[in-house]
Amino acid sequence: MTEATRRTGRPGVALVIGAGAIKCAAAIGVSKVLEDAGIGVDLLVGCSGGSMFAALLALGYDAATCEKLTLQMWTAEVTRRHDRKAMLRALMPKLFGFNASWGMIDDTLITDRFRKVYGDRTFADTKIPFHVVAADFENGEKVVLSEGKLADAIRASIAIPFVFKPWRVGGRLLIDGSLADPMPVDVAIRENASVILAIGFDNPYQRRINSPVRFAFQVTTVMTNNLLRANYAFHNLAYHSELILILPEFEGRVNAFDTGRLPHIIERGARAMEEQLPYVKQILAAAA
Amino acid sequence: MDVTVERHGEIAVVLVSGSIDANTAPDLATALSGQIQQGSTRLVADFSAVAYTSSAGLRALLGTLKEARLHGGDFRLAAVRPGVFRVLELSGFTSILKYFPDVQGAVESFAG
Repeated sequence: MTEATRRTGRPGVALVIGAGAIKCAAAIGVSKVLEDAGIGVDLLVGCSGGSMFAALLALGYDAATCEKLTLQMWTAEVTRRHDRKAMLRALMPKLFGFNASWGMIDDTLITDRFRKVYGDRTFADTKIPFHVVAADFENGEKVVLSEGKLADAIRASIAIPFVFKPWRVGGRLLIDGSLADPMPVDVAIRENASVILAIGFDNPYQRRINSPVRFAFQVTTVMTNNLLRANYAFHNLAYHSELILILPEFEGRVNAFDTGRLPHIIERGARAMEEQLPYVKQILAAAA
Repeated sequence: MDVTVERHGEIAVVLVSGSIDANTAPDLATALSGQIQQGSTRLVADFSAVAYTSSAGLRALLGTLKEARLHGGDFRLAAVRPGVFRVLELSGFTSILKYFPDVQGAVESFAG
Protein backbone atom coordinates (compact mmCIF):
# COMPACT_ATOMS: atom_id res chain seq x y z
CA MET A 1 0.00 0.00 0.00
CA THR A 2 1.41 3.37 -0.97
CA GLU A 3 1.44 6.45 1.23
CA ALA A 4 -1.37 8.00 -0.82
CA THR A 5 -3.63 5.01 -0.19
CA ARG A 6 -2.77 4.93 3.52
CA ARG A 7 -3.59 8.61 3.88
CA THR A 8 -6.75 8.85 1.79
CA GLY A 9 -8.15 5.36 1.99
CA ARG A 10 -8.47 5.28 -1.80
CA PRO A 11 -6.04 3.94 -4.40
CA GLY A 12 -3.62 6.65 -5.52
CA VAL A 13 -2.45 5.32 -8.86
CA ALA A 14 -4.23 2.60 -10.81
CA LEU A 15 -2.64 0.94 -13.81
CA VAL A 16 -5.08 -0.54 -16.31
CA ILE A 17 -3.56 -2.82 -18.93
CA GLY A 18 -5.93 -3.38 -21.81
CA ALA A 19 -6.09 -6.21 -24.32
CA GLY A 20 -3.29 -6.49 -26.86
CA ALA A 21 -1.47 -9.82 -26.60
CA ILE A 22 2.32 -9.33 -26.53
CA LYS A 23 1.97 -5.55 -26.91
CA CYS A 24 0.73 -5.54 -23.31
CA ALA A 25 4.33 -6.24 -22.28
CA ALA A 26 4.79 -2.48 -22.71
CA ALA A 27 3.36 -2.37 -19.19
CA ILE A 28 6.67 -3.78 -17.92
CA GLY A 29 8.41 -0.66 -19.23
CA VAL A 30 5.68 1.58 -17.83
CA SER A 31 6.01 -0.04 -14.41
CA LYS A 32 9.80 0.29 -14.45
CA VAL A 33 9.62 4.03 -15.16
CA LEU A 34 7.08 4.52 -12.37
CA GLU A 35 9.22 2.51 -9.96
CA ASP A 36 12.38 4.47 -10.84
CA ALA A 37 10.42 7.68 -10.24
CA GLY A 38 9.31 6.44 -6.84
CA ILE A 39 5.65 6.27 -7.87
CA GLY A 40 3.88 3.25 -6.44
CA VAL A 41 0.95 1.55 -8.12
CA ASP A 42 -1.97 0.88 -5.76
CA LEU A 43 -4.25 -1.04 -8.08
CA LEU A 44 -3.82 -3.19 -11.19
CA VAL A 45 -6.47 -4.15 -13.71
CA GLY A 46 -5.86 -6.45 -16.65
CA CYS A 47 -7.87 -7.61 -19.62
CA SER A 48 -6.98 -10.45 -21.98
CA GLY A 49 -3.22 -10.23 -22.70
CA GLY A 50 -3.05 -7.39 -20.22
CA SER A 51 -4.08 -9.73 -17.43
CA MET A 52 -0.88 -11.78 -17.82
CA PHE A 53 1.30 -8.74 -17.22
CA ALA A 54 -0.91 -7.14 -14.59
CA ALA A 55 -0.68 -10.39 -12.62
CA LEU A 56 3.13 -10.47 -12.85
CA LEU A 57 3.34 -6.87 -11.64
CA ALA A 58 0.77 -7.51 -8.91
CA LEU A 59 2.88 -10.40 -7.67
CA GLY A 60 5.80 -8.00 -7.32
CA TYR A 61 8.16 -9.34 -9.98
CA ASP A 62 10.82 -6.96 -11.26
CA ALA A 63 11.10 -6.06 -14.95
CA ALA A 64 13.76 -8.65 -15.75
CA THR A 65 11.75 -11.46 -14.16
CA CYS A 66 8.56 -10.33 -15.92
CA GLU A 67 10.42 -10.50 -19.23
CA LYS A 68 11.77 -13.96 -18.45
CA LEU A 69 8.35 -15.29 -17.39
CA THR A 70 6.71 -13.81 -20.49
CA LEU A 71 9.05 -15.88 -22.64
CA GLN A 72 8.04 -18.95 -20.65
CA MET A 73 4.33 -18.31 -21.26
CA TRP A 74 3.52 -16.47 -24.43
CA THR A 75 5.24 -17.92 -27.49
CA ALA A 76 3.85 -19.00 -30.84
CA GLU A 77 4.09 -22.68 -29.80
CA VAL A 78 0.92 -22.30 -27.76
CA THR A 79 -1.10 -21.95 -30.98
CA ARG A 80 0.69 -24.55 -33.09
CA ARG A 81 -1.35 -27.62 -32.17
CA HIS A 82 -4.88 -27.68 -33.53
CA ASP A 83 -7.58 -29.39 -31.54
CA ARG A 84 -8.60 -32.13 -34.01
CA LYS A 85 -11.77 -33.01 -32.15
CA ALA A 86 -12.80 -29.36 -32.19
CA MET A 87 -12.24 -29.21 -35.93
CA LEU A 88 -14.43 -32.29 -36.41
CA ARG A 89 -17.08 -30.74 -34.18
CA ALA A 90 -17.04 -27.63 -36.36
CA LEU A 91 -17.32 -29.63 -39.59
CA MET A 92 -19.95 -32.08 -38.34
CA PRO A 93 -21.55 -30.48 -35.29
CA LYS A 94 -24.40 -32.93 -34.81
CA LEU A 95 -22.27 -36.02 -35.27
CA PHE A 96 -19.43 -34.93 -32.96
CA GLY A 97 -21.46 -32.83 -30.55
CA PHE A 98 -20.58 -29.14 -30.90
CA ASN A 99 -20.93 -27.05 -27.74
CA ALA A 100 -19.99 -23.65 -26.31
CA SER A 101 -16.67 -24.90 -24.99
CA TRP A 102 -15.01 -24.68 -28.40
CA GLY A 103 -11.72 -23.38 -29.77
CA MET A 104 -9.58 -24.36 -32.77
CA ILE A 105 -6.37 -24.65 -30.83
CA ASP A 106 -5.47 -27.30 -28.29
CA ASP A 107 -5.19 -25.24 -25.11
CA THR A 108 -3.21 -27.79 -23.11
CA LEU A 109 0.12 -25.98 -23.53
CA ILE A 110 -1.06 -22.45 -22.71
CA THR A 111 -3.03 -23.70 -19.72
CA ASP A 112 -0.03 -25.69 -18.45
CA ARG A 113 2.24 -22.69 -18.87
CA PHE A 114 -0.08 -20.45 -16.88
CA ARG A 115 -0.21 -23.06 -14.13
CA LYS A 116 3.57 -23.28 -14.14
CA VAL A 117 4.14 -19.53 -13.92
CA TYR A 118 1.29 -18.58 -11.56
CA GLY A 119 1.10 -21.91 -9.73
CA ASP A 120 -1.71 -22.16 -7.20
CA ARG A 121 -1.41 -18.53 -6.23
CA THR A 122 -4.63 -16.62 -5.79
CA PHE A 123 -5.65 -12.97 -5.87
CA ALA A 124 -5.09 -12.97 -2.12
CA ASP A 125 -1.37 -13.63 -2.74
CA THR A 126 -0.74 -10.50 -4.80
CA LYS A 127 1.18 -7.60 -3.31
CA ILE A 128 -0.96 -5.06 -5.14
CA PRO A 129 -4.77 -5.36 -5.38
CA PHE A 130 -5.54 -6.81 -8.78
CA HIS A 131 -8.61 -7.48 -10.94
CA VAL A 132 -9.05 -9.40 -14.17
CA VAL A 133 -11.80 -8.74 -16.70
CA ALA A 134 -13.46 -11.50 -18.72
CA ALA A 135 -16.81 -11.83 -20.49
CA ASP A 136 -19.63 -14.22 -19.66
CA PHE A 137 -20.05 -16.24 -22.84
CA GLU A 138 -23.69 -17.01 -22.12
CA ASN A 139 -24.98 -13.47 -21.68
CA GLY A 140 -22.11 -11.12 -22.64
CA GLU A 141 -21.83 -9.58 -19.19
CA LYS A 142 -18.53 -8.15 -18.13
CA VAL A 143 -17.14 -10.23 -15.28
CA VAL A 144 -14.55 -8.80 -12.90
CA LEU A 145 -12.55 -11.56 -11.26
CA SER A 146 -10.97 -10.60 -7.96
CA GLU A 147 -10.66 -13.89 -6.14
CA GLY A 148 -9.67 -17.45 -6.84
CA LYS A 149 -6.68 -18.79 -8.72
CA LEU A 150 -4.76 -16.34 -10.90
CA ALA A 151 -4.09 -18.99 -13.55
CA ASP A 152 -7.81 -19.63 -14.02
CA ALA A 153 -8.71 -15.95 -14.20
CA ILE A 154 -5.99 -15.22 -16.75
CA ARG A 155 -6.85 -18.30 -18.80
CA ALA A 156 -10.48 -17.10 -18.93
CA SER A 157 -9.50 -13.55 -19.85
CA ILE A 158 -7.34 -14.71 -22.79
CA ALA A 159 -9.88 -17.18 -24.20
CA ILE A 160 -9.44 -15.60 -27.63
CA PRO A 161 -12.59 -16.25 -29.69
CA PHE A 162 -12.17 -19.16 -32.12
CA VAL A 163 -8.63 -19.83 -30.84
CA PHE A 164 -8.88 -20.96 -27.22
CA LYS A 165 -12.06 -22.43 -25.80
CA PRO A 166 -13.91 -20.43 -23.15
CA TRP A 167 -12.91 -21.25 -19.57
CA ARG A 168 -15.20 -22.05 -16.69
CA VAL A 169 -14.67 -20.06 -13.47
CA GLY A 170 -17.08 -20.22 -10.56
CA GLY A 171 -19.80 -21.88 -12.61
CA ARG A 172 -19.66 -19.28 -15.42
CA LEU A 173 -18.28 -20.00 -18.86
CA LEU A 174 -15.96 -17.06 -19.57
CA ILE A 175 -14.40 -15.78 -22.77
CA ASP A 176 -11.82 -13.13 -23.69
CA GLY A 177 -12.38 -9.95 -21.71
CA SER A 178 -11.86 -7.82 -24.81
CA LEU A 179 -15.34 -8.85 -25.95
CA ALA A 180 -16.78 -7.00 -22.96
CA ASP A 181 -14.33 -4.16 -22.38
CA PRO A 182 -10.89 -4.10 -24.06
CA MET A 183 -9.54 -1.41 -21.71
CA PRO A 184 -11.54 -1.67 -18.48
CA VAL A 185 -10.83 1.68 -16.86
CA ASP A 186 -14.24 1.49 -15.21
CA VAL A 187 -12.90 -1.06 -12.72
CA ALA A 188 -10.37 1.53 -11.54
CA ILE A 189 -13.09 4.20 -11.49
CA ARG A 190 -15.28 1.89 -9.39
CA GLU A 191 -12.39 1.44 -6.95
CA ASN A 192 -12.18 5.24 -6.72
CA ALA A 193 -8.58 5.59 -7.90
CA SER A 194 -7.23 9.14 -7.84
CA VAL A 195 -5.18 8.81 -11.02
CA ILE A 196 -5.73 6.18 -13.67
CA LEU A 197 -2.99 5.27 -16.12
CA ALA A 198 -4.49 3.27 -18.96
CA ILE A 199 -2.50 1.34 -21.55
CA GLY A 200 -4.58 0.47 -24.58
CA PHE A 201 -4.02 -1.01 -28.00
CA ASP A 202 -5.92 -1.40 -31.20
CA ASN A 203 -6.17 -4.98 -32.36
CA PRO A 204 -4.32 -5.23 -35.71
CA TYR A 205 -6.51 -5.83 -38.74
CA GLN A 206 -5.84 -8.79 -41.03
CA ARG A 207 -3.53 -7.98 -43.93
CA ARG A 208 -5.41 -10.35 -46.22
CA ILE A 209 -8.75 -12.00 -45.66
CA ASN A 210 -8.20 -15.19 -47.56
CA SER A 211 -9.77 -17.79 -45.28
CA PRO A 212 -12.86 -18.18 -43.10
CA VAL A 213 -10.63 -18.03 -40.04
CA ARG A 214 -9.14 -14.69 -41.05
CA PHE A 215 -12.62 -13.48 -41.88
CA ALA A 216 -13.79 -14.42 -38.38
CA PHE A 217 -10.75 -12.71 -36.80
CA GLN A 218 -11.43 -9.58 -38.81
CA VAL A 219 -15.03 -9.46 -37.59
CA THR A 220 -13.86 -9.77 -33.99
CA THR A 221 -11.21 -7.10 -34.53
CA VAL A 222 -13.68 -4.63 -36.02
CA MET A 223 -16.00 -5.12 -33.07
CA THR A 224 -13.43 -5.00 -30.29
CA ASN A 225 -11.66 -1.93 -31.71
CA ASN A 226 -14.96 -0.08 -31.90
CA LEU A 227 -15.86 -1.29 -28.42
CA LEU A 228 -12.55 0.08 -27.13
CA ARG A 229 -13.42 3.53 -28.46
CA ALA A 230 -17.04 3.49 -27.33
CA ASN A 231 -16.22 2.40 -23.79
CA TYR A 232 -13.27 4.73 -23.44
CA ALA A 233 -15.28 7.69 -24.75
CA PHE A 234 -17.93 7.13 -22.10
CA HIS A 235 -15.57 6.44 -19.21
CA ASN A 236 -13.35 9.37 -20.11
CA LEU A 237 -16.25 11.77 -19.75
CA ALA A 238 -17.82 10.02 -16.78
CA TYR A 239 -14.66 10.05 -14.68
CA HIS A 240 -14.25 13.05 -12.42
CA SER A 241 -10.54 12.66 -11.83
CA GLU A 242 -7.56 12.16 -14.14
CA LEU A 243 -7.44 9.43 -16.74
CA ILE A 244 -4.12 9.40 -18.54
CA LEU A 245 -3.68 7.35 -21.67
CA ILE A 246 -0.37 5.65 -22.23
CA LEU A 247 -0.16 4.82 -25.93
CA PRO A 248 3.16 3.22 -26.88
CA GLU A 249 4.22 3.71 -30.50
CA PHE A 250 5.84 0.62 -32.00
CA GLU A 251 8.03 0.39 -35.06
CA GLY A 252 6.13 -1.61 -37.62
CA ARG A 253 3.38 -4.10 -36.99
CA VAL A 254 3.50 -6.13 -33.80
CA ASN A 255 1.76 -9.47 -34.10
CA ALA A 256 0.17 -11.34 -31.20
CA PHE A 257 3.15 -13.62 -30.58
CA ASP A 258 6.08 -11.39 -31.59
CA THR A 259 7.93 -12.41 -28.47
CA GLY A 260 11.23 -11.71 -30.24
CA ARG A 261 10.33 -8.02 -30.12
CA LEU A 262 9.85 -8.02 -26.37
CA PRO A 263 12.77 -5.63 -25.64
CA HIS A 264 11.41 -3.16 -28.21
CA ILE A 265 7.89 -3.40 -26.80
CA ILE A 266 9.09 -2.84 -23.23
CA GLU A 267 11.31 0.08 -24.31
CA ARG A 268 8.39 1.74 -26.11
CA GLY A 269 6.21 1.29 -23.05
CA ALA A 270 8.88 3.00 -20.96
CA ARG A 271 9.20 5.81 -23.48
CA ALA A 272 5.42 6.41 -23.54
CA MET A 273 5.36 6.53 -19.74
CA GLU A 274 8.35 8.88 -19.59
CA GLU A 275 6.46 11.33 -21.80
CA GLN A 276 3.64 11.50 -19.26
CA LEU A 277 5.81 11.31 -16.16
CA PRO A 278 6.23 15.05 -15.48
CA TYR A 279 2.48 15.49 -15.55
CA VAL A 280 1.80 12.44 -13.37
CA LYS A 281 4.31 13.76 -10.83
CA GLN A 282 2.64 17.15 -10.94
CA ILE A 283 -0.87 15.88 -10.26
CA LEU A 284 0.32 13.52 -7.55
CA ALA A 285 2.15 16.40 -5.88
CA ALA A 286 -0.98 18.56 -6.12
CA ALA A 287 -3.05 15.81 -4.53
CA ALA A 288 -0.55 15.31 -1.67
CA MET B 1 -0.24 26.21 -21.34
CA ASP B 2 -0.72 29.47 -23.22
CA VAL B 3 -3.78 30.73 -25.07
CA THR B 4 -3.77 33.57 -27.59
CA VAL B 5 -6.66 34.71 -29.77
CA GLU B 6 -6.56 36.06 -33.31
CA ARG B 7 -9.49 37.31 -35.37
CA HIS B 8 -10.06 36.01 -38.87
CA GLY B 9 -13.14 38.03 -39.77
CA GLU B 10 -15.97 36.63 -37.68
CA ILE B 11 -13.95 33.62 -36.69
CA ALA B 12 -11.93 33.54 -33.47
CA VAL B 13 -8.80 31.47 -33.86
CA VAL B 14 -7.47 30.34 -30.52
CA LEU B 15 -3.84 29.26 -30.54
CA VAL B 16 -3.25 26.83 -27.70
CA SER B 17 0.24 25.73 -26.73
CA GLY B 18 1.52 23.26 -24.15
CA SER B 19 -0.40 20.50 -22.42
CA ILE B 20 -4.09 20.53 -21.60
CA ASP B 21 -4.54 18.71 -18.33
CA ALA B 22 -6.29 19.00 -14.98
CA ASN B 23 -4.14 22.01 -14.06
CA THR B 24 -4.59 23.93 -17.30
CA ALA B 25 -7.97 22.79 -18.65
CA PRO B 26 -9.99 25.25 -16.49
CA ASP B 27 -8.01 28.17 -17.96
CA LEU B 28 -8.62 26.93 -21.47
CA ALA B 29 -12.32 26.39 -20.79
CA THR B 30 -12.58 29.91 -19.35
CA ALA B 31 -10.77 31.46 -22.33
CA LEU B 32 -12.91 29.65 -24.87
CA SER B 33 -16.13 30.30 -23.00
CA GLY B 34 -15.16 33.97 -22.75
CA GLN B 35 -14.94 34.18 -26.52
CA ILE B 36 -18.39 32.64 -26.88
CA GLN B 37 -19.87 34.96 -24.26
CA GLN B 38 -18.43 37.94 -26.18
CA GLY B 39 -20.30 36.78 -29.27
CA SER B 40 -17.55 34.81 -31.02
CA THR B 41 -19.49 31.61 -31.36
CA ARG B 42 -17.45 30.42 -34.35
CA LEU B 43 -14.22 29.16 -32.91
CA VAL B 44 -11.18 27.41 -34.29
CA ALA B 45 -8.61 25.98 -31.92
CA ASP B 46 -5.16 25.82 -33.47
CA PHE B 47 -3.71 22.69 -31.87
CA SER B 48 -0.39 22.71 -33.71
CA ALA B 49 1.42 23.50 -30.45
CA VAL B 50 -0.60 21.21 -28.15
CA ALA B 51 1.62 18.39 -26.94
CA TYR B 52 -0.91 16.43 -24.91
CA THR B 53 -4.45 16.40 -23.65
CA SER B 54 -5.71 14.39 -20.70
CA SER B 55 -9.28 13.50 -19.79
CA ALA B 56 -9.70 16.88 -18.09
CA GLY B 57 -8.66 18.58 -21.32
CA LEU B 58 -11.16 16.54 -23.31
CA ARG B 59 -13.95 17.55 -20.96
CA ALA B 60 -13.01 21.21 -21.50
CA LEU B 61 -13.19 20.71 -25.28
CA LEU B 62 -16.57 19.02 -25.01
CA GLY B 63 -17.92 21.84 -22.83
CA THR B 64 -16.77 24.38 -25.41
CA LEU B 65 -18.29 22.40 -28.26
CA LYS B 66 -21.66 22.24 -26.48
CA GLU B 67 -21.61 25.91 -25.55
CA ALA B 68 -20.64 27.09 -29.04
CA ARG B 69 -23.37 25.03 -30.67
CA LEU B 70 -25.91 26.11 -28.07
CA HIS B 71 -25.23 29.68 -29.17
CA GLY B 72 -25.63 28.84 -32.84
CA GLY B 73 -21.93 28.52 -33.66
CA ASP B 74 -19.38 25.73 -33.74
CA PHE B 75 -15.99 24.78 -32.35
CA ARG B 76 -13.50 23.24 -34.78
CA LEU B 77 -9.96 21.99 -34.45
CA ALA B 78 -6.99 22.57 -36.72
CA ALA B 79 -3.49 21.12 -37.08
CA VAL B 80 -3.83 18.45 -34.41
CA ARG B 81 -0.57 16.58 -33.78
CA PRO B 82 -0.62 12.80 -34.31
CA GLY B 83 -0.23 11.93 -30.60
CA VAL B 84 -3.09 14.22 -29.58
CA PHE B 85 -5.15 13.02 -32.53
CA ARG B 86 -4.87 9.43 -31.26
CA VAL B 87 -6.32 10.49 -27.91
CA LEU B 88 -9.12 12.43 -29.63
CA GLU B 89 -9.86 9.51 -31.92
CA LEU B 90 -9.87 6.93 -29.12
CA SER B 91 -12.19 9.05 -27.01
CA GLY B 92 -14.68 9.55 -29.83
CA PHE B 93 -14.05 13.28 -30.35
CA THR B 94 -13.13 12.93 -34.00
CA SER B 95 -16.64 11.69 -34.69
CA ILE B 96 -18.46 14.56 -32.97
CA LEU B 97 -16.41 17.60 -33.94
CA LYS B 98 -14.88 18.79 -37.19
CA TYR B 99 -11.13 18.94 -37.57
CA PHE B 100 -8.88 20.20 -40.35
CA PRO B 101 -5.22 19.84 -41.33
CA ASP B 102 -4.58 23.57 -40.94
CA VAL B 103 -6.09 26.77 -39.57
CA GLN B 104 -6.89 28.15 -43.02
CA GLY B 105 -8.99 25.10 -43.86
CA ALA B 106 -10.81 25.29 -40.56
CA VAL B 107 -11.54 29.01 -40.97
CA GLU B 108 -12.71 28.54 -44.56
CA SER B 109 -14.97 25.66 -43.51
CA PHE B 110 -17.26 28.17 -41.79
CA ALA B 111 -17.96 29.82 -45.15
CA GLY B 112 -19.58 26.67 -46.52
